[in-house]
Amino acid sequence: MPTRRKGPRDRRSAAPRTPAEAAPATEAASADDRPDGAAAPDTPVPGGPAAQSEGIAADLEPLADHGADAPGTPAPADALPAEEPTPAAEPAPAPGRAPRRNALFPLGVNHYPLDAETSGWDDWYAADPEADFAAFAEARLTLVRVFLSWKSLEPQVGQYADAAEDRLQELVEAARRHKLQLIVCFFADDRLAEMLDVPWGRKRDPHTDPYLLQRQTALIQRVVNRYRAEPAIFGWDLANEAFCTGFTSADDLAAWAETMRDAVREVDPDRPVLLSVDPETLFRHTGVDARAALGPSEIAVSHVTAPYRAYAAEGPLTSGPSTYLDSFLLRSASGGVPVLLDDVGVHSLDHSHAEESAAVRTALYSGLMNRAAGVLLRRWRDLDTERREPYFRDPFEVLVGVRDIDDEPKPVMSEVASFARVAARIDLRRYTLVQERTAVLLPAERFEPLPNLASLYDPRACLQAYIAAKEAHVPVTVVHEGDSLDPYSVIVVPSAFSLEDSTWERLSAWVQGGGSLLLSYGGGDAPDIVRELFGVEFLGDGGARATLSCRIAQPDVLGHLTSFDARLDVPSFALLGQAGATVVATDATGSPLLTLNQAGQGRAVLCAAPLERALAQGDPWAPPGAVTALLRTVYAAVASAAGCGAPVACDAPGVELGLFAGEGEDILVLLNHEPATVDVGLVFDRAVTAVADVRGGQPVVVGSTDLAVPLAANGALALRLSYG
Amino acid sequence: MTGRSQQVRLAEGLARQGHVAPAVNACYQALRIDESDPFVHCLLAELMLSGDFYDEAISAASRAIELDPECAPAYLALGLAYDRRGGMWDRSILVWHELAEVVPDLVTAHVQLGEAFAAAAFEEEAIDAWRRALELDPSEARAMYNLAVAALKREGMATALPGFRKAGELDPSQDDLFFSLAGVYDDGEEAPDPADVPPDRKSRIAAAYGLAFEEDYFAAAELIRLILDEDADDAEALGLASYLYLKQEAANEAMACALRALTISTRTPTAVYCLGVAFARRQGLARHAARVFSALAKAVPDEPMPHVLLAESLLALQRFSAARESYLTAVALDPACVRARFGLAAVLFTEGRHAEADWEIRRAAYHDTRRQGLFWALYDEYAEGRS
Repeated sequence: MPTRRKGPRDRRSAAPRTPAEAAPATEAASADDRPDGAAAPDTPVPGGPAAQSEGIAADLEPLADHGADAPGTPAPADALPAEEPTPAAEPAPAPGRAPRRNALFPLGVNHYPLDAETSGWDDWYAADPEADFAAFAEARLTLVRVFLSWKSLEPQVGQYADAAEDRLQELVEAARRHKLQLIVCFFADDRLAEMLDVPWGRKRDPHTDPYLLQRQTALIQRVVNRYRAEPAIFGWDLANEAFCTGFTSADDLAAWAETMRDAVREVDPDRPVLLSVDPETLFRHTGVDARAALGPSEIAVSHVTAPYRAYAAEGPLTSGPSTYLDSFLLRSASGGVPVLLDDVGVHSLDHSHAEESAAVRTALYSGLMNRAAGVLLRRWRDLDTERREPYFRDPFEVLVGVRDIDDEPKPVMSEVASFARVAARIDLRRYTLVQERTAVLLPAERFEPLPNLASLYDPRACLQAYIAAKEAHVPVTVVHEGDSLDPYSVIVVPSAFSLEDSTWERLSAWVQGGGSLLLSYGGGDAPDIVRELFGVEFLGDGGARATLSCRIAQPDVLGHLTSFDARLDVPSFALLGQAGATVVATDATGSPLLTLNQAGQGRAVLCAAPLERALAQGDPWAPPGAVTALLRTVYAAVASAAGCGAPVACDAPGVELGLFAGEGEDILVLLNHEPATVDVGLVFDRAVTAVADVRGGQPVVVGSTDLAVPLAANGALALRLSYG
Repeated sequence: MTGRSQQVRLAEGLARQGHVAPAVNACYQALRIDESDPFVHCLLAELMLSGDFYDEAISAASRAIELDPECAPAYLALGLAYDRRGGMWDRSILVWHELAEVVPDLVTAHVQLGEAFAAAAFEEEAIDAWRRALELDPSEARAMYNLAVAALKREGMATALPGFRKAGELDPSQDDLFFSLAGVYDDGEEAPDPADVPPDRKSRIAAAYGLAFEEDYFAAAELIRLILDEDADDAEALGLASYLYLKQEAANEAMACALRALTISTRTPTAVYCLGVAFARRQGLARHAARVFSALAKAVPDEPMPHVLLAESLLALQRFSAARESYLTAVALDPACVRARFGLAAVLFTEGRHAEADWEIRRAAYHDTRRQGLFWALYDEYAEGRS
């Protein structure tokens, strides 16, 4: 039996980073092996929803319609190539028998209490949940987040409404019947159900008022106490982001979260406690830094909000930076703990079904390929709004679901089903993502208030750097200034205005010890340590220029670069003198543009212009091809020289690769970020003998290191690769 | 009424010179002195808008309007921030309405109002707003493009094409292509008086280009006539003559001159351009126009306009995917090309890619309003009114 966890895990301690790591292999095996399906869903596994859902997923295994995924499955599952026996105690699904769900990558949905704008607050979960929960199970979901209504549960001070508690009980029972697990969110705002508006609150602020905090604690303890032994509860969510936007200071938020977390822990020391806040989006929205409040969480949450998309990656959902935003925030939110990719779905009904499907497909696969611990869909059913067009504003983004108001599945639903089939076939105990040893560093200045504009420019620049690394097919993640650099071989510091002195010292020592640092000048002065590290004399900022010129001085030192002149508004250009560094490229006047310096055992590459920021502030949907090519070539070359380059060579920059390495065979997931069909040329470092769709089908004999794969517009594909 | 403080003037000066970060700092310093100065909030809104930080711009502009409901530049910044951010059409409509009341003859307010209405699916109101904009300024290309797009959505491409053609004719950048092909650039000097031009070919043709650039077509035509009187086979002069005919809506004569020029010398890019434009203006000759512009696009691949012209002729031939490719090339060469953005939007609409099409229209508005630089005109007017 899995062992119960004794207390909350320190977020910064040796918490698991990946779903596969999150689930101890022996636990997973024992759960899967259980012939009677009694996988003890009442024994939550620490470390995240992936691991948590293990129990429930194992429970479902015997019930799964193995090999009968859905009509339209390319080939019968028994046409799958026979899989290698799993070593040790890690069982793989039997050949030809497909699991319905991925135990380590659960899918879920937010189940909102009201489905119609005309409903009143007292209609909170008034409908019979049976049909919806049956549909959740049918859609291969594992997790369901429900939202408590303080107003319904505690209509009078200290008096709890039996009717409301019965409704909650019905939800729990429905979840149990359908072998689903609930994430119970205590304090949420959804604009419609007035869940927080307790009539006796007398306009006190529920975020800071001591009396209301006391009542909130009492409510939490009442609910948690009632369900502490309930197997259908996965975890406790303190609040959603809409509620947390009401905090005006980081200290208040941290204090509130600590109080509520302690309240849960007093009663239930086992289940994970979440705070459904993406620190990046919340900070952007309110200026409140939630990192301290999130510190002790066992599971982090990331999600894209409409304002954040408008800020960081406005534009079409199906191309450009927007398609990378989910994974960027996912990477950014991980402080060494599993991250739940939350609120997957579009923000409005402005989009066609095709665009909606493409956006959701991109988000789902991005989650899988970027170590999400699971995914929650934004909403199950569209909200039935009052008859007006269009839906003007949706501040809390709760209008659009995967089914329409008549409960008919929208095309996006088939995307979810298709993804679930693919994800179910990727056994994360057997296949692990190639480790990311390249990281984009988000400077601490990002959290400084205005008038420091760095806090506005930096995330955009970091997103561009992240995209460039993705386009170079380098496994990449995001770290914050102050995080440990030890796990990484390459650090990219894109167009930062300034880093703290202590960071420069750490970076210098890290480079001396063998790390590769890639810095693009962000403007202003350069500290002495930078000059030493990069082997250059800093002669000042040459100012803005409208054209970026590149002349290659040392070919093939940083990849195969070519000379160009491109129209790009570059806000700064460092005037550099040589002091030991190799000048790889210059501008049209001979001033160094790219330098490379060997420092100790490591390398320091300096770009004299803030290219990432320039790209972000330009037109990111029509960036100068020469500049993006320069960036990705340099990133690829630096990562490759550091031994952490692209695991598979790919000739399509717009296609993201995720290589899940296994024993004797790998799974390669491809995701097209462009709205156009592309033929992807792949080159492996060893001969691929056969390739097959992970969902099944006849393997195709390859017998070569080269492979060409057609990929539809915004399409995704998961291939099982066998080697000789 | 009060004037602007020294600190505000400092921020203003920095902002006018495009020094965003120092200007923002100066604004914050000014706010420390007087938080209730609408000028500062207004400037801050414009600065944030210039960095595409829409939420910050909305916040600052809203505060400026709160402090002074007559602050027209703040309305402009607020409306633009709503529109560029997207998804806030209800608020945007109110703002543009307000601005249209505060500055009734501001054409952009009506164009933006129309686009906000259209985004909010109020098509009739949108059309009314664009028509109002065209009443105020018949050469407002974006209003015309929007009307063409509205026609496309309602009745299809055949009905919309004349609108696109007309909007294209309002676009002054097409003339820039002609002069670019001729190697004529604005040197800031006035064209000479035709009477003072020395009687040699070189001086006459240079003066003719100068006069044409300044839209003095009759004087330019006089000089060209003198050149052609001396040498009827002067291809360059014929090319310019063709252009002058085009400007006077004489497509047949323009076509004849251009063809004659090309008979004499195929290396006359101005004549190629004029021939293509003349073909494009005549119904049924879109195929010829496409061939001519295709050649021109190959000859000057780094110029966006030939790709736009090629795309437009392909659009007339209903060859949408080829048109899309040409538009995309043009957009890649010049992301601020409003004409290419609208054309691309038209193609995307015909392909059912509505969200992308709407995005292209928003992008066109983005670049067009940035190019106009209306903020400073309104700001100066506002400052004058308050002093």
